[in-house]
Amino acid sequence: MATIEHNGKSYEVDEDGFLLNGSESWDDNWVSYVKGVEGIGDLTEEHKKVIDALQEYYKKNGIAPMVRILSKTTGFPLKRIYELFPSGPGKGACKMAGLPKPTGCV
Amino acid sequence: MGYDPTNPMEGRITDLGPRHYTEMLPPVIAANKGKWDYHEIIAPGVLVHVSESGDKCYTVRVGSPRLVSIEYIRELCDIADKHCKGYLRFTTRNNVEFMTDCKDACDALIAELKGRTTKFPIGGTGASITNIVHTQGWVHCHTPATDASGPVKAVMDDLFEYFGSMVLPAQVRIALACCLNMCGAVHASDIAILGIHRKPPMIDHSRITGVCEIPLAISACPLGAVKPAKAQVDGKEVKTVQVNAERCMFCGNCYTMCPAMPLADPDGDGIAILVGGKVSNSKSAPKFSKLVVPFLPNTPPRWPETVSVIRKIVEVYSKDARKYERIGEWAERIGWEKFFEKCDIPFTDKSIDDYRLAYDTWRTTTQFKYTKATDAYTKK
Repeated sequence: MATIEHNGKSYEVDEDGFLLNGSESWDDNWVSYVKGVEGIGDLTEEHKKVIDALQEYYKKNGIAPMVRILSKTTGFPLKRIYELFPSGPGKGACKMAGLPKPTGCV
Repeated sequence: MGYDPTNPMEGRITDLGPRHYTEMLPPVIAANKGKWDYHEIIAPGVLVHVSESGDKCYTVRVGSPRLVSIEYIRELCDIADKHCKGYLRFTTRNNVEFMTDCKDACDALIAELKGRTTKFPIGGTGASITNIVHTQGWVHCHTPATDASGPVKAVMDDLFEYFGSMVLPAQVRIALACCLNMCGAVHASDIAILGIHRKPPMIDHSRITGVCEIPLAISACPLGAVKPAKAQVDGKEVKTVQVNAERCMFCGNCYTMCPAMPLADPDGDGIAILVGGKVSNSKSAPKFSKLVVPFLPNTPPRWPETVSVIRKIVEVYSKDARKYERIGEWAERIGWEKFFEKCDIPFTDKSIDDYRLAYDTWRTTTQFKYTKATDAYTKK
């Protein structure tokens, strides 16, 4: 377990940099921190759309959406999601949205 | 140009796939690809393939521990440079094969390998016990119920004579998986070593909401033993799960999905032995391996209980089975009740299937043989 400081705010994260308390500690400041570590240049409306879609789905269902569902709700094909989040929908977008770290045989 | 962490996509190369295997073929194999006439095993661990053109390819197979250092790989490369024009290959059971096109080079290669003590044991061909397909264990995985490299070393030490000889009725494939994810081949091996748990998961209510997608943990359970629940943490109500211990069979799938549900336990965890699986279609159809020993303790570093059960099965099979008969074919021919009797393995209720399609595995015939076990039962 570690603590990350960014712009005067601190976040509890695991060794891969995912928020341990999820939505409780998530804010715009966290997004700007992850932007730096995930190699994302400018934050666009498209990034926001993906993050909003993830958070909305998680709030409603308690799980992260399957990749096909994320593509369908945002209208972005997987290729575009990788262009927006170079580490991919799991390690990149879910981390930025404050969702739990993906589990299973990944 | 080196990697620039501030600009990770710059100069990034991707989707190249593996190197094409033809770039690495020894010349005699490249020249005779698709033209092989026949092959012979000229000694344990040594094969010769003869091509239509008369070309010969000698192959020397040596055991490897699979988990190896760069130094070990460099030593393999030195041997390949010296005797095999720099070519070698790994088999699907993680043995190493050195290939040459002439008998003299093959003999020199064998002498060289034998000169390096037992670091490169020659064998693993024909009716032998070749390498054990195994997994990560305590070296690298987070869900294991036993170790992989340790038991593999202990079992292969004990059965070493069978690696360098071909005295069994047929080949015996041994595999190990350190949990019932069964990475590798345990579900279809002659003898399988499988890590199992015997206690339900512990639930960390204080972490679960943050790190776990609760519906995934619930649907991960094959028996519906995980249910959503609420719990109090520091006077606050949190969403969590509860596990019906009566329904739980300790598979650990929920821990795979949810880090707040660990279940590894030094006393509860151990090894189950399964036998009788095969993947080839020769003579009989492929078979799954079946549970014969439900639990053996984890006793590092040498796992003596596991080693002795496996030795016993191999020795009885070796004496009793017919030529070409795999362990599963032998057990089915003599009847599983006879298998338990001959191998001196006590039959327990744990071997009786009770999962969904269990009915088909029970005996729906009066055909059976009296054994010591039925004898003890009928005299009660």
